[in-house]
Amino acid sequence: MKLIFRFLPLAALLIFAVSGAFAQSGTPAPASAPTFSTVIDRQISSLEREFVSAAEAMPDDKFNFAPATLNIKGSEYKGVKTFALEVRHVAATNFAMWGAVAGEKPPMDLGGDDGPESLKTKAEIVKFLKDSFALGHRAAKSLTAENVLGTVPSPFGDSSTPTRLNLATGATAHAFDHYGQMVEYLRMNGIIPPASRPQK
Amino acid sequence: MKHLRMFCIVALLSLAVGLSAQTAAPAAKPTPAPQAMASPKPAPTLSGAIDMQLNMLEKGFVDAAEAMPEDKYNFSPESLKIPGADYATVRTFAAEVKHVATANYFFWSSVTGDPMPASIKGPNGPEELKTKAEIVKFLKDSFALGHKAIGTLTTQNATEMVINVRGQQQTRIFAASFPVAHAFDHYGQMVEYLRMNGVVPPASRQQN
Repeated sequence: MKLIFRFLPLAALLIFAVSGAFAQSGTPAPASAPTFSTVIDRQISSLEREFVSAAEAMPDDKFNFAPATLNIKGSEYKGVKTFALEVRHVAATNFAMWGAVAGEKPPMDLGGDDGPESLKTKAEIVKFLKDSFALGHRAAKSLTAENVLGTVPSPFGDSSTPTRLNLATGATAHAFDHYGQMVEYLRMNGIIPPASRPQK
Repeated sequence: MKHLRMFCIVALLSLAVGLSAQTAAPAAKPTPAPQAMASPKPAPTLSGAIDMQLNMLEKGFVDAAEAMPEDKYNFSPESLKIPGADYATVRTFAAEVKHVATANYFFWSSVTGDPMPASIKGPNGPEELKTKAEIVKFLKDSFALGHKAIGTLTTQNATEMVINVRGQQQTRIFAASFPVAHAFDHYGQMVEYLRMNGVVPPASRQQN
């Protein structure tokens, strides 16, 4: 049975990211042993590459695009987020969740579900996004086998006490959900997501 | 940060991650998470923490897969011919579901040691699966393997290496948890496919 598994771009990228140089050969590389910190940090790095490149791929003049404007016959896009709000929402969520892991307060009022309303331009929103990933890396670096299952107060003000692990990885999973939506927004505008473009 | 209320995430934070499923409206009021009400709480375990994430994904993903009508299961955005769009060669809705189920088997079988289903020949899964019922069953079965895989996780073995069918080594925690992130990516795409067909994703519907 010839198996051709190409979960590209995401899966392959992450396999390489996580298992490093020995991913293809099956031979362990003389690298340091993986830790919770390194495994999760590499997942964040892989997400960051795809998500930031997708955010940057949308032109300035399309940054507030929403599918409702296409008037697709029979569709239901009432009240959905614009591309800009997808990015801002994810960045704000990153700040909240990874901030709780790292023990850092956000640099500004994160606002409501759509993040800080003061951020309007593509440049401002992309910077906010990148800063959230920088925090993600600090959060990942703070993780150890001893503290990964430790609980922290909910960053959303409710009474739950999530584990650091769930916050650290939950932010990544959450962002991939929105990344999948952004991919569609890009394609609706004739833009192939950077991660899906042919490799040179 | 007093009003950062992510749809679903707020209510389900202690259950890991919520399905946003694309909505502009914040949740009206955070719902106390079940574990916050339990007393006394058992100490979290690694497998329990990641299995909660899988439960969340599974609920949202299966609901989305089931929400697409049978006669739209092979829908592709390319068929809409949106002016200026680029949807050449993208997956159909059915292929999205089959792809995720296949990836689930690929990663989780490396954790459990179970063989991959012989019918899987490539990234979009068994070609003979055609109907919605067949594809959704394939999906649900893949999630069952996921629970089994995640159940093997401990803080002691999480960073040990496991080998997939391609001979690649990955940490056990990566192989167990990555399919959740991968599936969320495709879930986000499926949400769009549903809305293109006038179907509001179940996770975005008003709670009554």
